[in-house]
Amino acid sequence: MARKFAYYPGCVAEFSSKELNSTTKALAPLLDIDLLPMPAATCCGAGDVAEAKPNLYLTLNVRILSQAEEMGVDIMTICNVCTLNLRRANKLVKEDPRLLEAVNEELVKAGARPYEGTREVTHLLWYIATEEGLSLLERQGPKGLNGLRVAPYYGCQLLRPSSVMGFEDPDQPQSLERLIVALGGEVADYEAKSKCCGFPILLARETTALKESHVALSQARDAGADCMVTPCPLCHLAMDAYQRKAEKVNGETYNMPVLHLPQLLGLALGLDNSVMDFKRHMVPVDQVLEVVGA
Amino acid sequence: MPQTTFDVFRYQPDTSDEAYRQKYELEHGEDMTLLDAILRLQNEQDGTLAVRYSCRSAICGSCACKADGKTVLACMTQVEDLKAQNGDQAVRVDPIGNFKPIKDLVVDMEPFWTKFKSVKPYLIPDSDPPEKERIVSKEAMQKIYNESKCILCAACYSECNSLAADAEFVGPAAFAWGFRFAADERDGQRSQRAKLYSGEHGIWDCTRCMYCNERCPKGVDPRDAIEKLGGIAFQEGLGMRDAGGRHAKAFLVSLRTGGKLNETLLVPLTQPLKAPFDLPFALKMIQKGKAPSPLPHKIRRLDEVKKLMKSVKETI
Repeated sequence: MARKFAYYPGCVAEFSSKELNSTTKALAPLLDIDLLPMPAATCCGAGDVAEAKPNLYLTLNVRILSQAEEMGVDIMTICNVCTLNLRRANKLVKEDPRLLEAVNEELVKAGARPYEGTREVTHLLWYIATEEGLSLLERQGPKGLNGLRVAPYYGCQLLRPSSVMGFEDPDQPQSLERLIVALGGEVADYEAKSKCCGFPILLARETTALKESHVALSQARDAGADCMVTPCPLCHLAMDAYQRKAEKVNGETYNMPVLHLPQLLGLALGLDNSVMDFKRHMVPVDQVLEVVGA
Repeated sequence: MPQTTFDVFRYQPDTSDEAYRQKYELEHGEDMTLLDAILRLQNEQDGTLAVRYSCRSAICGSCACKADGKTVLACMTQVEDLKAQNGDQAVRVDPIGNFKPIKDLVVDMEPFWTKFKSVKPYLIPDSDPPEKERIVSKEAMQKIYNESKCILCAACYSECNSLAADAEFVGPAAFAWGFRFAADERDGQRSQRAKLYSGEHGIWDCTRCMYCNERCPKGVDPRDAIEKLGGIAFQEGLGMRDAGGRHAKAFLVSLRTGGKLNETLLVPLTQPLKAPFDLPFALKMIQKGKAPSPLPHKIRRLDEVKKLMKSVKETI
């Protein structure tokens, strides 16, 4: 029976990067998961609400956790930033019963359900990059990636701080590599795969941010990657939508197609291209589709 | 007896402008810190190898360096642990990042100290000195306990991704100290500090890469301190002074009006003066469907969120 999750795609996947949401939903039956909607869930605050109003950040995220608790399931995300924000709030209240009590008092006053601290938050990558997940992919008889050279790009907030995230060694992550190899791709390895894409300050400090994304984009290019893959839609925006700007600021050319993690899975499993909506990308992915034969 | 190869960054400007790498072999006991190893290499094999250290017990913060690419305090890192992590390979030793090397593992810390001093890392009370000492409650000290553990080793600064892209960024350690005083109830400069820290190259430059929290050997969590300084800036009515604060404000507006982030509002709210000049890029985003409707994205039970936004009080 399919495992049920409270599905928390995050705002970017729901709006500006809809292709990530549509691909994930189409992929769910193939991955044996049932993604239940959370119609009353707010934005996680993306670190911005925490920066302006920390107590409000905590309360809103606990409200989201409580909704999953009411549904009787754990939360699955497809965004690094949502994962960190929800997990951090969960850890804070689980480790401090007095804090949980104070947050619950606020929730009840506002007519929301209090949280008992019984739920976990996971990311699609963490679900699929386990032995169980990989054998699930194998059972689907993937048509494979046909030797596509993929540069894994983790970004920051799915790895650090490891005290909150904890799925794998933040300095030697291997989950994306395991997936790429299992799906018949080749890993284009490079050092900057867990450096920052600059997204959180892209609007406030554009030049600094574009110098940050340059590090990973240029290294992935030099490693001979056909494309980059990321588990985070914010990294995707920085690496794909802002790639031409980064080229201008840094005086270089990358021409690096960037795939969302579910799109890479979808290509390997033979998902229809129209669902994956590659036309919404800024950097064309034609060369990727050509290699994979999609 | 274990034997380890150390692959060390060398820079000897007296003899050459070029940095190079040198390998050393060392036989040692099971328990040996990286600092002990470096000092033995210096004493027994190569007196020219330069390293900065003092206390050897994780208090002075002098011996931070990179071991296999990761910033550590050499004195609290076991060589055998490094080998367990790197698969029994040679241990790579480098100076800390985001600094200019002076000689081998010794770097020029001047920019770090200049920025540290710029945050006024000392108490500035706004009243005359009391006749007796000021008593501070345990709860009040608890608020700044983490930040007060900082030993200024610069492990955070070494791997800060914002600093790597903008050398002027004040950086995580200095802001941990900034928070430590801004939130100290004996200090009288809370608002002035929030203003001082909110400028160009200030707290809103932080890219949230989380390396500082990950690397700090003392559990200071500098990123959390920067986040709390943002909160203080908002409490002091300074949230709208910087593009970073306005970016955060756009999230609050989105939450109140719909519950979910209104991405299309982010650009004009964050950069009201710059946004109109970025029209070609905006048009491309619209063409690709990456500029969603500017109307609020309404969740169910939005009333709960509105009530929480009114009732939840901030306690920094």
